[in-house]
Amino acid sequence: MTYKILNPRIGTPGDEYIPRPGVNIDALLNAGFIVEIASPTSEHKPAIVKKKKPAKD
Amino acid sequence: MPTSIYLSNPVVTVNSVSLTDQCTAASFLQRYDQLEDTAFGTGSRTYTSGLGNHELTLTLYMSYAATETYATLKDLVGTTTTVIVKPTSAVDSATNPGFTLTQTFLAELPVINASLGELSSIDITFVGGVYSTDTTNP
Repeated sequence: MTYKILNPRIGTPGDEYIPRPGVNIDALLNAGFIVEIASPTSEHKPAIVKKKKPAKD
Repeated sequence: MPTSIYLSNPVVTVNSVSLTDQCTAASFLQRYDQLEDTAFGTGSRTYTSGLGNHELTLTLYMSYAATETYATLKDLVGTTTTVIVKPTSAVDSATNPGFTLTQTFLAELPVINASLGELSSIDITFVGGVYSTDTTNP
């Protein structure tokens, strides 16, 4: 999971938030201090649809 | 004789959130249970260290605005978190250590502490957790 800073009380807004050990991430998300950003590896690729070949007569 | 006068320099961080501008007092107590190990043949009582039982008490102005005191603390009640108090805003060093409690427990939060004509403030206490001092990282 990666997070982005939204509020200057945490750090510079826009920077990645790297949590210290023991930090309650859910509390930070609920209060709007940070937001979760999808990591590139977890992006869903669009499904490849194979076209059916027309049946031969 | 060097002494410390606290005006605006101490830094208070709760769950990564800086509450310095809402804090008016901080008392960080490093403490260990005191276990007696006196035995026959000794003329005085002696003690040894038991479990750590550290504590941080903060006095904070209560604000219900977004990303202020209440928003920071409301989801921490009954859970553990990390708190840091530094004497000054300078980088961590041997002369400006970041006193840290990791996995410290917040048992209660006074959600209203109101007196007519006064700014609302609350006292909260974090108990337990692992004590450490950070002298190297900013």
